[in-house]
Amino acid sequence: MKPVNEMMKQVLLGGAAVIVAMVLCGAPFSFAQESVAVRATLVTGGLPLDDPNAAAWSSVAPASFPMSPQVHWPNRIQEVTVKDVSVRALHDGKQVVFLLEYADPTQDPDDGAALEFMVGDKKAHFAHGQPMLQVEGGPVNIWFWKNKTNKAVDMSAKGFGTLKQQVHQDVNAKGTYSNGKWKIVFSRNLSNEHPDEDVQITPGQFINIAFAVWDGRKDAAGELVEKGSQKAVSSWWYFRADAPPDYSSYMYAAVAVALALGFQFVLIRKLKKGQ
Amino acid sequence: MGALGKPIILMVAMYLFLKFVLPNIPGSAPLPSSLIFLYLLLTASGIVIYETLSGESKDAFWGPMQRFLTGKNSGGLQVLRYGVLILFPLLVGWETYGSTASSDLPPTEGRTIHPAPPGEYTGLSNPVPKTPENIMQGKGFYAAFCSPCHGGNFDGKGPAARGFNPPPANFADPTTIAMLQESYLFWRIKKGGVGLPIEGAPWRSAMPRWEVELPDEWIWKIIMGEYDGAHQSPRTWE
Repeated sequence: MKPVNEMMKQVLLGGAAVIVAMVLCGAPFSFAQESVAVRATLVTGGLPLDDPNAAAWSSVAPASFPMSPQVHWPNRIQEVTVKDVSVRALHDGKQVVFLLEYADPTQDPDDGAALEFMVGDKKAHFAHGQPMLQVEGGPVNIWFWKNKTNKAVDMSAKGFGTLKQQVHQDVNAKGTYSNGKWKIVFSRNLSNEHPDEDVQITPGQFINIAFAVWDGRKDAAGELVEKGSQKAVSSWWYFRADAPPDYSSYMYAAVAVALALGFQFVLIRKLKKGQ
Repeated sequence: MGALGKPIILMVAMYLFLKFVLPNIPGSAPLPSSLIFLYLLLTASGIVIYETLSGESKDAFWGPMQRFLTGKNSGGLQVLRYGVLILFPLLVGWETYGSTASSDLPPTEGRTIHPAPPGEYTGLSNPVPKTPENIMQGKGFYAAFCSPCHGGNFDGKGPAARGFNPPPANFADPTTIAMLQESYLFWRIKKGGVGLPIEGAPWRSAMPRWEVELPDEWIWKIIMGEYDGAHQSPRTWE
């Protein structure tokens, strides 16, 4: 049997070696990995505007976002069905299309889902752009889909009780349900004539996006469990439509290499002459 | 290489210290690369000043570099010389590409976790007597209103917490309520996320504005229950 301090020494040495190896390899100490942004890949040709099952979607990597029950303001809810949403997006320079997917054990007429965006330059609170006490916030644009109509409603809000359907309806949506999973596509033009109400998407720029889901199940008394503010919500995350490829950085790098070579040539020539 | 050996070792040691040792000292954090670069630049300037103080040391310092660059008497170092002459322009090109190419990362939004409270919320003391009954009542209110996010164990891991970014505060962590005064918690609970100043990124916080739902006395009791439950004490001015 080894003496205790000899064993301690070995344990400490082993631990130190592991830490040194991790530090040298740049290994992160936390292994949790979650998405922070949805990226709309630029494609040429047709977008799957009303087809949640199109083959084009399989070429896009999904981003996954955790959901919470809405506990920020009354009426609250303590538990919701949907725990995560998976989001993909594509654009063709004119239109953008999102695919929102989530697990829901039952298909109900009152199932619903929404995308939310900040509008304009001012930050907006993720809870319907409710007023902030020390910061002047902006409005939010909400794309709301419901199973009953299988259509989108284009909405605006700036604070609780201000949610309203817009006069101009610019968003399309279609959902399909199979194998315990909803797949919903939302589409719209990247930009339009209503910048005060609608999010304007400029390729290459990050904007804020959030998600909400209502499971339309009913309790034993026949009442809807998730309705109105009682829903699953996410925080703000990021969305970006990819910009067309830009090769100017390669040109700048080539110029820099040429300048560095020229500098070396002049320096060495000068040194040789000096000697 | 004699006169150059020490400066090279010093620069490498400085880099390793800044990159790997300093961030692991408790209370420290990883240094941004721009700061590491600045420190290395200062170190290099110090070395150059030190090595060129006298004519003799100046020759000893620059001489080997000049001979290396011009290839005079470099002997076995010829391969290294070509390596440096090829790698330097490539490095400059790589840096230029890196600084001009568009980033795939979202913009970083600095968020101050504990911004300064408004004047009226500094130095308030808890008006509720610290009795076992009041603490117990505070814990009851905490369980009803706060635990869904901040957790039954006061660890920020309540069942409703997973979707929120920033995550709900972990009161058992010594860097949260243990370093704040009770009056600060009173402000945060009363005004919630939307009451944060701009540097607190109020548009992200899911913390409710409890002043519209709970009387002040309940809030003071919740504060008492939080400290007791998380086994922490409020910060006080000695």
